[in-house]
Parts: sequence; structure tokens; C-alpha cells
Amino acid sequence: MGDGTGNVHENGGALRRVVHEVRSLELGERTSYDDGRLTVSQEEATALLRDPALAEVRLACASPGDSVRIVNVLDAVQPCSKGPGGGGVFPGFVSRALPPGRGETHILRGAAVLAAGDLPRAQEAVIDMAPPEVGRSPLSETHNLVVEFDRADDADWEEVEAALRRGLLHLAVHLADAALEAEPDAVEELADPAVQSPDGLARVAVVTNIQTQGRFKDVFVYGRSLWGGLPTLLSPNELDDGAVVSGQYGHPALKNPTFMHQTHPVLAAVRECEDLHLAALVICPEPVDQNFKELVSAHAARLCAGVGIDAAILTKEGGGNADADVTIKMDRLEEHGIAAVGILPEMAGRDGTGPPLVVPPTKATAMVSTGNYDERITLPACERALGGGQVALVDRSATEELELPMAAIYCALSPLGWGNVTCHEEA
Amino acid sequence: MRIVHYVNQFFAGVGGEEEANTGPELRCEVVGPGKRLQALLGDEHEIVATILCGDDYSAGHPEFAADLIAKAQDEGAELVIAGPAFTSGRYGLACARVVSAAAEAGLPTLAAMHADNPGVGEAEGVPVVASGETARTMRDSLDQFAEAVKKVAAGEELTEQDGRVTPVPRRNRVAERSAAQRAVALLLARLGDEEEETEIPLPDFDRVEPAAPVEDPGQALIALLTEGGLVPAGNPDRLESSRASKWVRYSLEGHDSVAAGDFESIDGGFSTQWADEDPNRMLPLDVARELEGDGRIGDLYEEYFVTTGNGTTVADSRRFGVEWGADLHQARVQAAILTAT
Repeated sequence: MGDGTGNVHENGGALRRVVHEVRSLELGERTSYDDGRLTVSQEEATALLRDPALAEVRLACASPGDSVRIVNVLDAVQPCSKGPGGGGVFPGFVSRALPPGRGETHILRGAAVLAAGDLPRAQEAVIDMAPPEVGRSPLSETHNLVVEFDRADDADWEEVEAALRRGLLHLAVHLADAALEAEPDAVEELADPAVQSPDGLARVAVVTNIQTQGRFKDVFVYGRSLWGGLPTLLSPNELDDGAVVSGQYGHPALKNPTFMHQTHPVLAAVRECEDLHLAALVICPEPVDQNFKELVSAHAARLCAGVGIDAAILTKEGGGNADADVTIKMDRLEEHGIAAVGILPEMAGRDGTGPPLVVPPTKATAMVSTGNYDERITLPACERALGGGQVALVDRSATEELELPMAAIYCALSPLGWGNVTCHEEA
Repeated sequence: MRIVHYVNQFFAGVGGEEEANTGPELRCEVVGPGKRLQALLGDEHEIVATILCGDDYSAGHPEFAADLIAKAQDEGAELVIAGPAFTSGRYGLACARVVSAAAEAGLPTLAAMHADNPGVGEAEGVPVVASGETARTMRDSLDQFAEAVKKVAAGEELTEQDGRVTPVPRRNRVAERSAAQRAVALLLARLGDEEEETEIPLPDFDRVEPAAPVEDPGQALIALLTEGGLVPAGNPDRLESSRASKWVRYSLEGHDSVAAGDFESIDGGFSTQWADEDPNRMLPLDVARELEGDGRIGDLYEEYFVTTGNGTTVADSRRFGVEWGADLHQARVQAAILTAT
């Protein structure tokens, strides 16, 4: 059941997703991909991560089911490439800053590269590779190449973060390049959404808010921050090519790393639905002041109305005040006659009796819950930890049994709609 | 289960207001409402002790609750219950503190009080079931309380059907489909005109937009309002002293102030001693007349509106507000001073 089934268009705006499944991951002599087996050359990979801000980098593998806990997780990236060296992916970082999303993109499905280690202002994020059912991360289900690092003595943390971000993206391209000649497991055609809806299907926009709060709390579109900017229309296909890259390290459970943008679950779900036409992706900054939130929301609603949108699904990133960025937009969209559904995590307190939202909508009230952020779960002890030896949040060794709020589990309550966790009253 | 029951000094039979400073104590006996409760609970559960405290003492010494729970644990308490406290504010607060301390100590627990008792808001995450407004409803209140006690003893979660007035906890669960797929399903429902569906109920927040400042107070018509129960002596319209269901209006014509003896507060939520000594403390007519005389405000509106803000429901309060707003607007009043207690 591929995305975009039945939506093949012969025009130049469509994207062909060439899928290579990764079924095992190991370190070896030479980076290669063969029949689901991804081998990574330590030497080639670390060369891509070399930077004056990093004294040392180490690579490790973590696969689903391993008794491994990854702590201090920073960004995660899905390997992709349009040709040797990237061929246009990650515009503004790896390739020239131009809109991608056309032609062919090879992806390594089931694999991710991620960085893990201390970074100031990054909230502690945890991934268990053998987690309980509630407590899963999308990165519990991928074969992960984990990059651990030491900061160079005289390096600014900002330089460390930038080096890791660049390094991960280059590494993601390097891995996908190994599969460029391989027979794909699947080829998925993603239609150009700029065309008119076939058969009068409802035109759906996915409105995705991204954090724009400065250093370590910023997300990049074509390599640029949207801080101070206005909502903009992208082709949904551009996300496959890494048009949106994360540099945001707060609220681990509510975070949208680059990987989640590349695999945007709402885009996939709308593509799969035969009764809806995916018409637009609207990327919006999440400003910190109320007036600007209102401006961005009103503007986003006008953009949607201007391109003939009938219905919209809204997503956010981050904690409390970001609720408003979703709910104000839901109201503005409804005023334009556009049906709106918001995806929101709840912050209902440890016992689940607090108000679930900080700022509720008033006109549009259809919301999907990704679960309560404050509820606690217990992760079992494990054999090995990557990314650090301690979980400072609870002052415990990283391999011990840990009782943690859901808030600490990487993407566990993904506002992009990845998980199956929801929240309801006990009846 | 071995149950320990909290009551205040009144229901423990120690005495009324004059005994409100009674300190916390544990008695190895069943007293007051506990007796009927024990009968309702049957043989399966035993109230092994009563813990009690005076209402003033508990209000002024929040640590009384932890003391009592420690004593209850010494008696082998397996479940701690409190009340019913009806609409009694101090008693309700004490019950809330007792059950919160019990929960903190890891004991199953619950309290009973009226939904509007301020103690409800203090019972952080602990179940509270409804009781009637006053002790006159004791029989029915204890019937419901006993059923709820049995459920909690059995480890069951209480719901609205059990009379629960504190929020039912929302818990994380695994759904069949992902949030993204559920969002698509919800969107299809919305497009099919299913307006009501949602996974997240709207929290109950009020939002009050402040009106623009009065441009020229020297020209403005100003009204005086209060929710402090200030009425003409004798309370001719029988305004309630708590849980008001109405508001009333009285003329200020010919009054330069609200004089002691002519007006009194009937509010049951605080000591009215100082309001009765000088009713202008509640309704500042004396200084308002001075401002009017000086021309610093235009005119005072000829009537004042009053209700009692003590245990009054949000729904009633909202209704009063709407009616006041409409009335004042029609009278071309531009600003109002509303004193709260």
C-alpha cells in the first residue's frame, strides 16, 4: 500500500520515491547496501563528520529489539539521495538552496542516523530499542547509526550543533548513495499536488507549525530559519528531499526531528485516503508573542483559502504556548469555511486531571490526542546505553530501570501523528 | 478493609464554632456520620478509627493532615475517607487536605462534599464524590458515599455516575490506528457534517476581554455593584447568604452614603462585622459621592446591584453578569465598580 496510489501524474512536479528497505545494520570496511543489509564504513562516515568543533566522534549501531537505550538524543535523519553526493537533497545544507521534491529520490526505509550527547538547552530525550508498548519512539523501530561526540575544547556549543547537523545530513546522503544502483523494494509515485483535485475530491492542506525560538530551538526550511517570517506553501514532496531540517532540541516527546518531517505521517495518511486530495503543505513559524501568533494564523488561513483548500489537518511542535498556534489557526480556518482538525498532545498533569490544553479552540473543536505528556511510564533496565551514562532528569544510570514522564521519550507523542497513543477518561 | 474516617469537630460531637480550634486527634471509635456509614458498608469493611480536627485549626494548620494520616497508619489504616462536608468551606478544605495527605502516603482514599465546596479544587487528583448542600441531606449523601467507598476499596475508578465531582483522570491508551490516520478519519467526519466528534474535550476556561478605558470619567455615568451581600437592613428580598440564585437592585437616590444600621451584609462567606460597622467598606458610596461632587466622575447611577458571591455556581454567576451587563448598557452606564469579597 504505497503512498500516492492511483495518483500517478506524468507532469514534472511529481516525485518518484525509490524505496530500499534496511533490515540489518553493521559497521564494516566499506559502506555498502546489499539486499536490505546496510554496512557502514567507520572511516568514511567519521570523515564526513570531521569538524573543528568536534574533538572526536564515535559510531554505534542500535537495532529494534536490542537491549539498548539511547539517551540525550538530538536530531535524527532518514538516509536519502537523488544522485551521487545528494543531487539536491537537504537544500541549503548539502545541496544548493532551491526547492526540491521532483524527479527521483532514493530512501533507506527503516534506517536512521542520529546524534546523541550533551548539548545545552537540549532536554533529555530517551529511545529504548526494546520499549514497552506505551513508550515507543518511531526511532525504536529503525536501524539506527548513532553518532556520539566530544566537543573540541575551544568550540562554541553553537558550532558543535551546526557541525552535528551538517554531519548527520552528509552521513544520511552517504548511506543512501550506497543504494543508488540497488534493485528497489518499492517505487512510490507522489503526485504533484499543484494540479486540480481529481473527481472533485476535497482539497486538503496539511498545516505544519515549526518552532522558531532561536538557538537550539529553531527549524530550517531550505537551510533558513522562519523566525520572523510568515507561513509559506511547499509541495509535500519536498519533505522527502529534506527541505525541512530540525535544529530544535526541546520537549523530546513533542519534537519533530528531520526524520519525522521526511516521513511526515499526516502527509502519508492523507495520500493513502482515497476520498481526499493532498493539495498543499503549509509551513508556519510558531512565534512567541500573541499578536504574531494571530497574524501568522490569519495569514495561514488566507493562504489556504487562496489555493482552494476545503479541509486542513494542523500539527505543532513543542509545549504549551504552541497549542495556540494550532487552535487559533483552527478557528481562522473555520471562519473561511475550511474544516479543521488539530493533532495535539495533552499536558493534563501527572494524574491526568488537569486541563488537557493550554489554549483551546473556540470555533473548531475536532482534535486528535497523541497522549498525555505528563503521565509516567517505567522503562525496563537494559544492557547498553549510548549518548551518555546518566539520565540527569531522574539522576539514574542510563541502563537502570527508569520511571520517566512520557515527555522524555523521543517523539513518543509525535505532534506529526506518528504514534498510536491516545488519551481518554477511564470509564 | 480497615478504614479511618475524618470528620470535623462538629460532626465528631465535640462542639460547634466555639470548639473550632480543637486540635487534631484520633479516636478508636466510630462517631457521628461514621456510624451510619459503617452500617451501609456491611461486614466487609470496618471503620477502625475516627480522625478529627476543628475547622479553624485545620484551616490555619495545613500540617494537621499529615499528622492525622501518620496516626491513621499507626492504627493500620488501609483506606482513608473524609466527610461528607456538604457546602461547608473550611470543613471541605480540611477533608481535601486529609485525602491529599492520604494519597501522598500511598493509601487509597476519597472524600464527600458538595460539588461547589471550595475543597473540591484542593483535592489534587483524589476522587471526591458529591454530597448534598447541608446535613439535612445526610441520609442520601451517605448512601452515595458508601457505594463509592466500596468501589474505591475494590480498586475501581470512580466516574461521574458514582457522583464523582473531581475530574476523572485522563490516561494514555494505545489506539488501533495512528494519530495521523485518526486525524484523517476525523476530517472525513467533519466534512460529513459530524461537528461534535473530538478526542480532546474542551477545557473550561473563561476569557474576559477588558473593556476600553473610559475616555472622560468627568462625563461618565458610573455604577456601583457588589457581590458582598449588602442589602437594606432586614434583607427585604431574602437574598441568600450563600449559593445565591438571584440578584437584587436598590435605589441610592437621596443617599450620601450607605449608613450603618440602614444596610447590612448577609453574606455567609466571611465575617460581616466590619461591613456592618461601615457598609461603605463594601459599597464605596461615600467616596463616590465626593468624586461626583468634585466633578471627577459625571454621575452615579441611581441604583446599585447586589448578589452574594459565596458558593454561587459559575453558571448562575455568568447569568448575573449577562443580566447586569445588559441592564447597565441599556441605562447608558459607561463604567462600573464591582466589589468582591
